[in-house]
Amino acid sequence: MLTIADKTFHSRLLLGSGKFASAALMQQAIVASETQLITLALKRVQLGKPQDDLLTPLRQLNIQLLPNTSGAKTAKEAILAAELARDALDTNWLKLEIHPDPRYLMPDPLETLLAAEQLVQRGFVVLPYCGADPVLCKRLEQAGCAAVMPLAAPIGSNLGLQTEAMLRIIIEQAGVPVIIDAGLGYPSHACAAMELGAAAVLINTAIATNHSPVSMANAFKLAVQAGRSAYEAGLSVQHLTAKASSPLTKFLASL
Amino acid sequence: MHITVNDDPFQLEAVSTVEQLVTRLGLDPNGLAVAINNNVLAKRLWPEHRLAPADAVQFFQLVTGG
Repeated sequence: MLTIADKTFHSRLLLGSGKFASAALMQQAIVASETQLITLALKRVQLGKPQDDLLTPLRQLNIQLLPNTSGAKTAKEAILAAELARDALDTNWLKLEIHPDPRYLMPDPLETLLAAEQLVQRGFVVLPYCGADPVLCKRLEQAGCAAVMPLAAPIGSNLGLQTEAMLRIIIEQAGVPVIIDAGLGYPSHACAAMELGAAAVLINTAIATNHSPVSMANAFKLAVQAGRSAYEAGLSVQHLTAKASSPLTKFLASL
Repeated sequence: MHITVNDDPFQLEAVSTVEQLVTRLGLDPNGLAVAINNNVLAKRLWPEHRLAPADAVQFFQLVTGG
């Protein structure tokens, strides 16, 4: 079971709700993934245009909703977004993300730490999206974050575990769940992340933009389960030479 | 009374609460949040909070996103 703050989850796959072609496909993918945590974003209302009722179908699925602060470029903006999200959704859970650079969407470490410290003081359960920096992750944990969410690769890039060496250190040192976020493109990436000992992974683009998002959601679910099972079993030792799997008898040599 | 709503000028004929403005704009309060002059106004205060001249009102809603 995955425990974050005071809640437990049987699924270790978090889903992002962006980029799905339709609400119906998103709902089907959520069901197929068996996720219990899904992220949402906040934006200014466009007056005169109909509002999509996103919440009613999500609430029917009985999953934890995790608003994010995407769009915030500074700690000050992220704190305002967090307070708005808390009031809109009636939850103190928050995915903190501050990425001022639109090309690579790299999270700003200084603003993220500053915002995390203040949001924890304001009673939020803070899950910060951050770079794969072991020192920063430890500082975020010490600030009171309920988990850390280091990136594997740039958001939406599908490049996989580009930061693997640093993620290993983060996982080894962490006293809170490490949720690997951003850049995981294939189920095998998610499986490898779980084999490293990640507590969970967050997937959005790789599922939502696939031509069969429901099938891909199922594939990621199975990959996360496989990786976790392997981690719990303990990975086998690697060798540079062969180790025979069959008895080496001499009968072939006698022919 | 002149205010702005999401940065656009807006004319209020009479004293109005935030809740009345939400109704007048036809907004669904489900998943809606409001900031007045960059300060979040909690939903429970919408029925009693009266808007003042030159208030900058901003409405936000939850949307899909990672």
